Amino acid sequence: MEEPKIGVFICHCGTNIAGTVDIDEVREFAAGLPGVVSARDYKFTCSEPGQLQIKEDVKNLGLNRVVVAACSPRMHEITFRKAVAEVGLNPYLLQIANIREQDSWVHKNGSTEKAKALIRAAVQRANLLESLERREVPVTPSVLVVGGGIAGIQAALNIANANHKVYLVEREPSIGGRMIQLDKTFPTLDCSSCILTPKMAAVGSHPNIELMTYSEVEDVSGYIGNFKVKVRKKPRYVDSELCTGCGICIEKCPWKTDSEFDMGLGKRKAVYTPFPQAVPNVPVIDPDVCVYFEKGTCRACEKFCPPGAIAWDQKEETVELEVGAIIVATGYDLLDPSPLTQYGYKRLDNVITSLEFERMCSATGPTGGELVLKDGSAPQSVAIIHCVGSRDKNYCEYCSRVCCMYALKYSHLIGEKTDADVYQLYIDMRCYGKGFEEFYKRLSDEGVNFVRGKVAQVTDQVAGEEEQGKLVVVTEDTLLGRMLRIPVDMVILCPAMVARADADEVARRFLINRGADGFFLERHPKLEPVATASDGVFVVGCAQGPKDIPDTVAQASAGAAEALSLIDRGTVEIEAATAVVDEEMCSGCKICLALCPYNAITFDEEKKLANVNDILCKGCGVCVAACPSAAITGRHFTDKQIFAEIDGLLADVKPPLVAV
Amino acid sequence: MVTGTYEPTIIGFLCNWCAYQGADLAGTSRMEYPPNVRPVRVMCTGRIDPTFILKAFAEGADGVLVGGCHPGDCHYLEGNYKAIRRITMVRRMLEQFGIEPERFRLEWVSASEGAKWAKIVEEMTEQVRDLGPLQWWENVREA
Amino acid sequence: MVRQIINPYKEAVDIVKEMGGEALRLCYQCGLCTGACPWNVLKSFPVRKLMHEAQLGLLDFEAEDMWACVTCGNCVQQCPRGVEIIDVMRAMRRTIVALGVGPVPDSLRVTMKNLAGTGNPWGEPTEKRADWAQGLNVKPFSNGAQMLYFPCCTTAYDASVSRIGKATATVLQKVGASFGILGSKEACCGESARKAGDEELFQRLVQENTAAFAESGASTMVVSSPHCYYTFMNEYPIAQNGLQVLHSTQYLAGLLREGKLKFSKEVKKRVAYHDPCYLGRHSGVYDEPREVLSSIPGVELIELPNNRENSICCGGGGGNVWMETKPGERLAEVRAEQALDVGADVLALACPYCMLMFEGCLTQDVLDRLELRDITELVAEAM
Repeated sequence: MEEPKIGVFICHCGTNIAGTVDIDEVREFAAGLPGVVSARDYKFTCSEPGQLQIKEDVKNLGLNRVVVAACSPRMHEITFRKAVAEVGLNPYLLQIANIREQDSWVHKNGSTEKAKALIRAAVQRANLLESLERREVPVTPSVLVVGGGIAGIQAALNIANANHKVYLVEREPSIGGRMIQLDKTFPTLDCSSCILTPKMAAVGSHPNIELMTYSEVEDVSGYIGNFKVKVRKKPRYVDSELCTGCGICIEKCPWKTDSEFDMGLGKRKAVYTPFPQAVPNVPVIDPDVCVYFEKGTCRACEKFCPPGAIAWDQKEETVELEVGAIIVATGYDLLDPSPLTQYGYKRLDNVITSLEFERMCSATGPTGGELVLKDGSAPQSVAIIHCVGSRDKNYCEYCSRVCCMYALKYSHLIGEKTDADVYQLYIDMRCYGKGFEEFYKRLSDEGVNFVRGKVAQVTDQVAGEEEQGKLVVVTEDTLLGRMLRIPVDMVILCPAMVARADADEVARRFLINRGADGFFLERHPKLEPVATASDGVFVVGCAQGPKDIPDTVAQASAGAAEALSLIDRGTVEIEAATAVVDEEMCSGCKICLALCPYNAITFDEEKKLANVNDILCKGCGVCVAACPSAAITGRHFTDKQIFAEIDGLLADVKPPLVAV
Repeated sequence: MVTGTYEPTIIGFLCNWCAYQGADLAGTSRMEYPPNVRPVRVMCTGRIDPTFILKAFAEGADGVLVGGCHPGDCHYLEGNYKAIRRITMVRRMLEQFGIEPERFRLEWVSASEGAKWAKIVEEMTEQVRDLGPLQWWENVREA
Repeated sequence: MVRQIINPYKEAVDIVKEMGGEALRLCYQCGLCTGACPWNVLKSFPVRKLMHEAQLGLLDFEAEDMWACVTCGNCVQQCPRGVEIIDVMRAMRRTIVALGVGPVPDSLRVTMKNLAGTGNPWGEPTEKRADWAQGLNVKPFSNGAQMLYFPCCTTAYDASVSRIGKATATVLQKVGASFGILGSKEACCGESARKAGDEELFQRLVQENTAAFAESGASTMVVSSPHCYYTFMNEYPIAQNGLQVLHSTQYLAGLLREGKLKFSKEVKKRVAYHDPCYLGRHSGVYDEPREVLSSIPGVELIELPNNRENSICCGGGGGNVWMETKPGERLAEVRAEQALDVGADVLALACPYCMLMFEGCLTQDVLDRLELRDITELVAEAM
């Protein structure tokens, strides 16, 4: 190997690093390390002139290794690799010393000493770095979108309109998601169905979109650009090819159950479409409700179906897809407020959740858009309780972001439909979006009562004549500093938006991370808001965190743009830091074969040797550590390189074992 | 580090996807913790060869901290399970060398657990500081 | 008048802030605590306002409000920001007691003086501590006994509450338990002292009792009072010292599960159980008392509207048991009314303070319709 000529570049990161780390001391220290020919510092090494400094030194001083002491490699390793590659240095000859996230930002004292240790380790490791060649492989030019809510719909349409194939997988019988359950949308009050159904129809008829409803992703394998996905299609028991969507089967079916779409407020049949504008307009038969599956009788739907589309013998099937990118848009659940027993949900009549209220307001809902109490009468007074489980350490610490605004919207809708007095019980009004504050002002003008206080209790224990037959909302009005008892006919709870109940399973399937709040974690909160820890997998919409429709749509388009830029490129570079078997040393013991999670290791029966397929290998290094003959090398993380790093980290510590 | 009092040096082996990101998040969130842990980034805890840990102790580390993804959350599906098995073996080995068990830790830290990382480092630093410098050659001699 | 942020009691406020800790800084003034406070049924007690005054250092240490909190924990349980409101209240009182920045209610002052002098809040002589057990053949604890019974000062000295101790001793004897009492060697657990702000006195009592327990060599202790139970479990080093502490209802439920608790008589009553704050919310013991009650032949167990974690305090917690409560401002009355509303004949209790409060607060008219019985009494009756 050629004599290493290492350049060390120390970044001040403004005062982020320079504020706690003594840059001059560290630079002088670095300059004295073996192999280092130049050590320099700069205000912002990642900036154009900062990168130029590196490039110039590579050219002028003939550097063959570069160490950048700056922020985390997870932040700018790619940036600097690109910079050195531009002047002809192999990108794998760059080493980052993370002296910001894991040093200057977290230590008041000792950060200079630690920076030195980290740089020394990086330099020692750099001495042993080797050039690696990255291979390019073709990208499958299609995208999988998981979830058919507004986020999935938007992403799918964006990609399909760019002339790429999209597979849109939706668990429910129809696309539409949460948004199609809503009545009006804030702050413009446009009708949710009116703006969403055209998009749904466009998805249903788009030549580039293969819509797979009533289906779930079962397994994902492969890697960026070349994923293999298994999708399980549940049997509809209705032949989609034959069905004309006439709805006679639904009309004739005698079996009923609670409608999930109407949040249990209305009924649906055993054969059903969740709502009239469903896409696809092909019903499904629910085998748990349909009596045919229990007793083999009835078959009313079959008898009356004009095209004979009922298909009792349909079986579950698994379809395999190949895609280049994946967009996860699996949405959110609403917190079940029944554990908050003080609000009486499910115990007291006329205490309902926001989604139930949405269904009640909807013209296609269980009450035909009438706002009614359990007894069928119209409410005279309504209380809307904000932050039910949101901003609450005992449930969800975060703000759900949309409740303040939809609660205001409810005031307006209640005003449209009834003469009821409306009370908004809030902690803080958060009206941060475009048109939000204006909407707040408008609703104030419409005569809503605002009470600042977190409601302690909703009770039917009355304390006086005027409370007879009412629900009493007990709260401190914190602005008055006085306890209030507000008798109302209806209470609407605004529960927290929470991660889907099966989010952990989904995260595992797509190898993405979840935050402490349970939602999927983006790779960087600001600069990579839709990328995930898995290359080629993007997350958009409420699966990533609570957000309103405009933000969801914007994010969905962002996800589509990311996916498009990936598949339009045509090729993708695959990891070069893979494992490689030294044929001389391999004993053919096969221990590594069973360990590889990607089946990337095969056994050459002729030579009796293990072989790593470096397209399948993702470079985890599990086989490297396991090989009893040390015959497998983990490129870019070789034993020698890691040993050198450990040595470097500990060179200032007196070793306890003295060689005799 | 404060001079005059004993400050331990701990080597951290952090997986790229969870623990390293978690430690980065502690930084982004400016959570202060002691500077005693010096990190080595590996792609997966499954890559950690027992010799890395021995090497660290041999070169003068007073403790070794391995940080990986929570069970079930491994970026490479199950590398952390393999690490658990190997590390059980390492524990036994260290015990035989006379190295106190408190000097070696395996912790699961997700990418969102910056606070947890800071807490672990603080705790472990304190523990190892209390134990004093590693003097395993003496322990071995005694045994 | 505009009150400026100038702090007349800076030192005192700093102590409160420090004791309230990080959690106090987190309060976002939603008012849930005020709403969750049982007092708001009867009078105004602005918990939220006190928290804000503490945050800004504008506490009025002379206000009566300093002493109102019954430490029932209903606000803490629900606080969305996890503010340890009881700790803040305790800090305020401690500051007043230690620095004299405000008046301590007279009745409380007397109680604390008694506690300091005699080791019990009643100011009764120590020698009389075992008098409640006279005629019951209860033995002083000796090394051979399996279990130590700690009755609580109120059980030991108050004539109307001592029946709890008597019933417990009777039940223990009937099941053949090997137990004894420490009598004059034990002192008050000190919970009231701590909640009333006398930290120094509390620490002294902890030391005395811990030494007495250690000397006795007991490995299990059964207590009648949830306040003693909570204090021993959370604020004493006994749990670490290997002493197992059980509330009497937990002990009885254990016997029941082992088939050792046998009944021979019916108690034909409609019984409503009042969850004591320190057994329920503070210690999480909800099921055992119910298990025991519903196992008694003839007992029909009914629930009060506020039960389990939503229980309402009797009004005696946080040292209030020693202070005067004005008629019309008594939580025990609210609770008795609830019991009568659900048609109970008996209000079953599991705490000497609750017993004392209900006995003291209810009118004869109510007491004629609603019997107050400790769970151990009902068990003893049915055996």
